[in-house]
Amino acid sequence: MKIIYTDVLVIGGGLAGLRVAIGAKRRGHDVVILSLVPPKRSHSAAAQGGMQASLANVIKGQGDTEDIHFEDTVRGSDWGADQKVVRMFVNTAPKAVRELAAWGLPWSRVRRGDRTVIINGQKVTITERDEAHGLVAQRDFGGTKKWRTCYVSDGTGHAMLQTVSDQAIGAQIPVHERTEAIALIHDAGRCYGAIVRNLITGELVAYVAKATCVASGGAGRIYRVTTNAVICEGIGSALALETGIARLGNMEAIQFHPTGIFPAGILVTEGCRGDGGLLKDVDGHRFMPDYEPEKKELASRDVVSRRMEEHIAKGKGAKSRFGDHIWLDITLLGEQHIRHNLREVFEICHYFMGVDPTKDWIPVRPAQHYTMGGVRTNHTGESPDLKGLFAAGEAACWDMHGFNRLGGNSVAETVVAGMIVGEFIADYCDRLDNEVDIPTSLVHDFLKREQGKLDTLVDGRGTEDASAIKAEMQDLMTAKVGIFRRGEDLQAAVDELQRLLVRSRNIGLREKARGANPELVTAYRVQKMLKVALCVAYGALVRTESRGAHFRQDFPRRNDAEWLKRTLASWKGEETLPSLAWEALDVGTMELPPGWRGYGAKDYVDHPDTPGRAADVDAVKAKMADASRFDVQEALMPYDELLPEPLRGRNERIDEPMDKTCESGK
Amino acid sequence: MESSNQLIAGIGLAGTARKSRWPARLDFIQSGTGLVLALFMWGHMFFVSTILISNDAMWTITKFFEGYFFFGKSYPIMVSFVVATVITLLVVHAFLAVRKFPINYRQFTTFHGHMKMMRHEDTTLWFWQALTGFALFFVAAPHVYIMLTHPELIGPFESGDRVWTGHYWPLYILLLLAVELHGGIGLYRLAVKWDWFAGPDPAATRKRLKTLKWALTVFFLALGFATLAAYVKIGIAHAPDYGKPYVPAALQAAPQGVNK
Amino acid sequence: MSDANSKIIPIAKAGNGGDGGSAAHRQLKISVLRYNPQEPSQPPRMQTYPLEEADGMTLFIALNEIREKQDPSLQFDFVCRAGICGSCAMVINGRPTLACRTLTKSLGAEFTLAPLPFFELIGDLSVNTGKWMRGMSERLGGWLHMKEPNPDLRRAEQKMDPDLADKIYELDRCVECGCCVAACGTARMRKDFVGAVGLNRVARFRLDPRDARTDDDYYEVIGDDDGVFGCMSLLACHDVCPKDLPLATQIAFVRRKMVSLGWS
Repeated sequence: MKIIYTDVLVIGGGLAGLRVAIGAKRRGHDVVILSLVPPKRSHSAAAQGGMQASLANVIKGQGDTEDIHFEDTVRGSDWGADQKVVRMFVNTAPKAVRELAAWGLPWSRVRRGDRTVIINGQKVTITERDEAHGLVAQRDFGGTKKWRTCYVSDGTGHAMLQTVSDQAIGAQIPVHERTEAIALIHDAGRCYGAIVRNLITGELVAYVAKATCVASGGAGRIYRVTTNAVICEGIGSALALETGIARLGNMEAIQFHPTGIFPAGILVTEGCRGDGGLLKDVDGHRFMPDYEPEKKELASRDVVSRRMEEHIAKGKGAKSRFGDHIWLDITLLGEQHIRHNLREVFEICHYFMGVDPTKDWIPVRPAQHYTMGGVRTNHTGESPDLKGLFAAGEAACWDMHGFNRLGGNSVAETVVAGMIVGEFIADYCDRLDNEVDIPTSLVHDFLKREQGKLDTLVDGRGTEDASAIKAEMQDLMTAKVGIFRRGEDLQAAVDELQRLLVRSRNIGLREKARGANPELVTAYRVQKMLKVALCVAYGALVRTESRGAHFRQDFPRRNDAEWLKRTLASWKGEETLPSLAWEALDVGTMELPPGWRGYGAKDYVDHPDTPGRAADVDAVKAKMADASRFDVQEALMPYDELLPEPLRGRNERIDEPMDKTCESGK
Repeated sequence: MESSNQLIAGIGLAGTARKSRWPARLDFIQSGTGLVLALFMWGHMFFVSTILISNDAMWTITKFFEGYFFFGKSYPIMVSFVVATVITLLVVHAFLAVRKFPINYRQFTTFHGHMKMMRHEDTTLWFWQALTGFALFFVAAPHVYIMLTHPELIGPFESGDRVWTGHYWPLYILLLLAVELHGGIGLYRLAVKWDWFAGPDPAATRKRLKTLKWALTVFFLALGFATLAAYVKIGIAHAPDYGKPYVPAALQAAPQGVNK
Repeated sequence: MSDANSKIIPIAKAGNGGDGGSAAHRQLKISVLRYNPQEPSQPPRMQTYPLEEADGMTLFIALNEIREKQDPSLQFDFVCRAGICGSCAMVINGRPTLACRTLTKSLGAEFTLAPLPFFELIGDLSVNTGKWMRGMSERLGGWLHMKEPNPDLRRAEQKMDPDLADKIYELDRCVECGCCVAACGTARMRKDFVGAVGLNRVARFRLDPRDARTDDDYYEVIGDDDGVFGCMSLLACHDVCPKDLPLATQIAFVRRKMVSLGWS
């Protein structure tokens, strides 16, 4: 029996996991990162467009503040987010951008003087300020009032991952590549690490740690049509779920990105629309203004995706042998812009479709993109149910995204949550009563249990084909738990997924190798993925309202009165359905009481507390009309003490210089 | 102090404090000697090819380099001096370049297999560059040695005799092929190695360089073979008079003064 | 260009493995070099898989179909399947390149796949590039060495010339796929050679004014025959780089800078 001891075990080598690890390591704790693939290959690399942070450097971002970023994010979430966490996030995001800048990230920079941009299909000349020259630039993105998305050409995620991964190497943090956590070790309500399988040799090793952090990304691959990398299978969430103790939050909140390349589902960035690209139908007609006169192509992703599908359903999609789709037209941005600022898009179109996006339109259709839900945590990133288990990034339901995430807020979350959760994990490890105190016999039991499961798969007499079950699950999720959801479809999906789960317990392998064996991997993963898929489908079935990306055709209105609450799913033993519970959001403490998002459907059912809270908020704002925005915010919803001490403090901007903002503010 | 430094170097720890600057110098010298040799080779080829114009032209060039037109008298030792310099450059260049060769059978087969698999022109060219460089160790040696020791044996008849009756022509065929291929590839590689003429579009530059390289190789091979053929012809015709130096018609009236 | 009807044409070429299109598809014969170091009793061998081509089929789709329908033991690596993560580099018809964005229609009906040479073989088409890349990075100090290790994050970021930022990103686009090293004759002969990927890293940090290191520091890591002076300018790295990085000019630039230290 091999046991590796460490202070912190991070499951996942993407941006969130790496940043958590760096944070804990800096505080003097030993960290080991587990990663299915070399960290620089993580799905974080696929984030093309950028990272939101209210730096307000570009002229179109002038006047931007944490307040506006906060409101955009909460509206985007359709009020499903934890507003205090959103506040922690928006205040830390500029610091994260600046930290990355200091670490060597080649952020695209502002260039002084005139430049031509495309806004609303028109060429417009804007003039950047002299004092902004050389500062980090921002671009426009969906669902935002200001240009706030900091970017590195259209390889933001790639460049961020390079930078953070390099710093992790510099910090001498070991990454155990090609290893996979297959179970969490836990006892008496506390997590002690994980049982880990070496994907090359097949060997099982126990990693025992004071703190374990799930940072394994999303679960896109439970769908057939997804922008996600093939490793995004929701296994980290499933590990937490399989403890029977930790719970997953809001798994039904699945985002569909409007511009997945049709039919492959490969992402083309929101930056295409942010920079002025247009969506067109079979007639070449730009249809988004007909539906969304205010934000047009740049409404939030859930809204744009639904409008596209709605338009296709009206028979207005372009036809192809693979089905109907919409056109994304970026030709108006010009060859220079596309080849430099949207280079990945150019390459993807060129290599995968033989399309030249400087001349041709790009066939697109919404594809599964993001898992808003995940391991439910409190604001420190720790599971409220299982002590010592942390989560960060897409794998977590920290909950800053609620029911819809804004473009540019995901890579932002990875590093921001990494900074914040890394500090809290270090705090946790600092406390003496959190020393590891379990007997090795317990670790041995977990190892034996997991080895037994693998042996059953390899040696058992099962007859089911793992990849066939996986394909059925993916088809089912795409067909029945997609953008438009209906009770009967969801019920059918839940029933069928349960049958698949039962069948998955009878998988037999053709390939019996115990070492590297792709079929074995598919087999044990699909068992876990089905549980995650069931949390999504069942949560969606029970939530009889529409909120953010969760849209029920049979319940099209947002219903705050009954559903302003977070779904929590847990899994008991050999059940075939998760146990659901709900956690109400407290309107009485919200800084931004529920209302209309500014785009999308206007009718919703108010929570009984909403009018009262709205009146309170208005009264405070009226009374403090002359006070600084910081004081008003503090009066409405104090959050500063929630942040780790080193990350507190205001953020400098051109229009909010350091001495006025930061020094007097603290 | 000196002996402790020697001991540190002997144990293999000399490079631990600060890396030696010698690799930088050696890299530069390898390229530099290669460049000088390649340019010398081109000039040399032009000079010997004057035989294609006329015997007198070749004679004139030869005498020019022997200082005849400056001093009114030939000093073949000047040629020896040039040859000695070339030999030095050759030795230095070979000594440095051999570091890059496959040093054992495993490396050789690895590279060869790699080259066959990749079918990548510049990789394949390197193999030929290395091979011809290796050949030059042997085929260049007799030539430079005889030039060093018998610098006076350069001239239309003298050279013709050496080529034909002296049985140098098979050597010269190999030498010509090896030198032109090695030098042509080498110059191209120097240009890309140091990024000369990169310009705004390095890919286009490289393409042009490659074309130029092949054009020059073909040109010099053609010139070289034509020149060699000319000497062979002279050598066959002059065989009965083997050893008699060439004297231009204009000087035959007053042969004293030449070759004294 | 804005004629919508003309837009129907490109999609006919598009696609990703769907079963659309009734035109007769080619029968592909895909030969894969198979070897599992964990089972050394089975020597390296070629195995040929027949496969019906589909519209827009990439090697990502083809190999997954083979694994699901024909041979569950076949090992290969894909992650993003969109040409941006660098996982799937392999030798296709003798040349290292990214498999995920290689369309089968760009190849003949019969073609061969082999793992990248040079790197540790995990099995079949899967190689351990990550391990080597980490080692390379540790050896070169492949991370930004900050001049000011603890910047005040509340303050505005240091300014940088926009063109310089673009230039740095150009070199940061490397995905560490390993194609350049696998294509490098020097690296094949001398396993300690740092490769184009490593020299490009140095060029990138050299360019960055935020990095505290000087040329003397870089010389310490690449100033020998395992570093920049080992490069024989075969330029296969440049020619196979899937990201079209300017490796030839960057290596030349680094070489000039390092050589100039030889006399300083």
